[in-house]
Amino acid sequence: MIENHQDSSSKNGDNLSQENFVIEAKGLRKMYGPHLALDDVNLSIPSGAIGILGPNGAGKSTLFKCLLGLIGTTSGEGTVLGYDIKTEGEKIRSRIGYMPEYNALDSGLIAIDQVRYCGELLGMNSKVAAQRAHEVLEYVGLKEQRYRKIETFSTGMLQATKLACALIHDPDILICDEPTNGLDKRARKFMLKTLKRTVQQGNRTVLMSSHVMDDVQEVCDRIVLIHKGKIVVQRSIGELVNQVEREIEIMIWGGASKMEESLISKNLSVRRLGRIIRIKIEDEETIKKVLESAVESEVQIRQLKEYEPDLEDIFLLIMDKLGSEIKGSSELMTPDHKGGF
Amino acid sequence: MEDSVDLGGGQTRMEVAFGAGDGDEEASAVVTKSDTKLGSIFNQQYRTWEGSLGPRWVRNYAIYRHHVYGLLTSKGHRYYHPMVRLLILVIFIGALTPVPMLFLSSLLGGEDGGFISKMWGINRYNLWGQVLGYFPRNMCFWPLLTALVVGGMISDDRKNGTSAIYFSRPVTRFDYTSMKYLSVAVILGFVIVFSYFLYYTSAIVFRGEGWAFLADTLPIFIGGMIAGIILVITYTSIGLALSSISQSRFFAAIGFLSVIYGTKLVSLLVELQFENTILYIISPYDCLAHVGQFLVGLPPNYDHPLSFSILSLLLINTLSLGLLISRVSSLEVTRE
Repeated sequence: MIENHQDSSSKNGDNLSQENFVIEAKGLRKMYGPHLALDDVNLSIPSGAIGILGPNGAGKSTLFKCLLGLIGTTSGEGTVLGYDIKTEGEKIRSRIGYMPEYNALDSGLIAIDQVRYCGELLGMNSKVAAQRAHEVLEYVGLKEQRYRKIETFSTGMLQATKLACALIHDPDILICDEPTNGLDKRARKFMLKTLKRTVQQGNRTVLMSSHVMDDVQEVCDRIVLIHKGKIVVQRSIGELVNQVEREIEIMIWGGASKMEESLISKNLSVRRLGRIIRIKIEDEETIKKVLESAVESEVQIRQLKEYEPDLEDIFLLIMDKLGSEIKGSSELMTPDHKGGF
Repeated sequence: MEDSVDLGGGQTRMEVAFGAGDGDEEASAVVTKSDTKLGSIFNQQYRTWEGSLGPRWVRNYAIYRHHVYGLLTSKGHRYYHPMVRLLILVIFIGALTPVPMLFLSSLLGGEDGGFISKMWGINRYNLWGQVLGYFPRNMCFWPLLTALVVGGMISDDRKNGTSAIYFSRPVTRFDYTSMKYLSVAVILGFVIVFSYFLYYTSAIVFRGEGWAFLADTLPIFIGGMIAGIILVITYTSIGLALSSISQSRFFAAIGFLSVIYGTKLVSLLVELQFENTILYIISPYDCLAHVGQFLVGLPPNYDHPLSFSILSLLLINTLSLGLLISRVSSLEVTRE
């Protein structure tokens, strides 16, 4: 459910629908032979940062291809920035920046030439593309490395170069496929900061596909979750969090079992894993009951906080409700996904 | 729009650190160090761009220029290994060997100059040989030149995933293929057809030939040029088709040389054994040579009808282009 319609800062806002959704789709279906890749997809995406989530094979890549107008749809209709995905693919791709998941750079070129060439492929004048390439490489933190050959780049630099290629024409929508793939902690932090800035300072829309829920939560304010070709959730992360049961989490030192028994005796709903105990918030008296139990059990409460469910929790809950046996989003990652963090 | 999942009453997962114990042990203090703060090294600023994008031909010209200019300067364009560029230069200079001989003949004059002019001057055999002679041009020069140029033309995009750079932008697969084709054809055309043109014009200039000579030889020259263009088209089609089916530039290059030399060798062996030239229709070079002999007006070296060679050339080009189109269609933007 999407209620907050943000103002689009599109360079050609005339093409957008009245509600200012940058991407809309109705009953979108895509079949590869007998295999149904997208099943009755209904999407309404406003501008901002949106995380596209889903297990491998859920249909994320197919959705991207349909939105870029690269493959035909079996049925249904859709628009991106007001352009029809079936007939105006070229116009859509002129206004979108796509950062692919895997390496898509010519290792024989230096970074500035690679980014400039990407601009030229969009129809930019060579001189303008070169000037803009300097700007975007500086923006992604490669100002000092722009004259280095791409084959000498680290994974973080390669990801940054791909981002620069996607940003060269200042696109209205930036599609990032696993932007933090293989990055170490520092490079990941910088990449996320850059994406966030692109949304907040540049007023651009970012569609980010990732299996790292922390990354999505860091950048995005809403998510679209695809499962077996269907859109199962599309709403803000805040709304999803509010649907989950509120709990207090305490960390016990010395006598967690006694503490657990005491809490149960006070008719509280308790879950325990080692020294961590979570208690469902029933009413305002719950914290008082917890403290009383600690005194009765003679244990130390080292930490007490209201547990804030994160996107990983939300994702696993949804997958659980859908009957999927995923124990963590890390299960969805290939070795390529795992960087040094 | 309703979600199909209701999270009402859902409970989140619980996790503890590995080896954290069960919480029933004796208490002891643990002190942690705070994170080191990392400084900011520059002021990151998003800059908008208000320019406009050029039309289709601008994008196509960018692809063409990237591949062709790369041969002249690696700065800013496609990278060709220095050895590749050097070899192409050697082949181009090799293709121009008759030019200094013609110059020499004009310097010497007299009987010696006349002999040199007869050997390297303009006639049907030499014009045909400049493009379609087997040794050295079609044994050493043109196949090697084609192999060097088409090597990574498409296979590199498949290997490096750089096809995503093209197809995630408003570049159609037709534009991509046709510009790559044009780039290869222009490079081959420059070496093969332009060297042929230089040979012909230098003969006229150095020997001081007049209009009568021009009127006599121009139809032969044009016939040879058409043969050269057909050779460029055929070698480009085969070379790019091979480049599109693999991820290795080595495969494309070796594959091309194998096709040209392999078919020639098999046909030659069959001819020597059975005294029949019909199998030469599987050899692209021999089909071209046969057609070239007709265009230049030379008696053919082959017993089978010319129409077989023409049909074979059409088939070879059609199959190669079909393969090229089908493989370019399968180039991915997103890998799955």
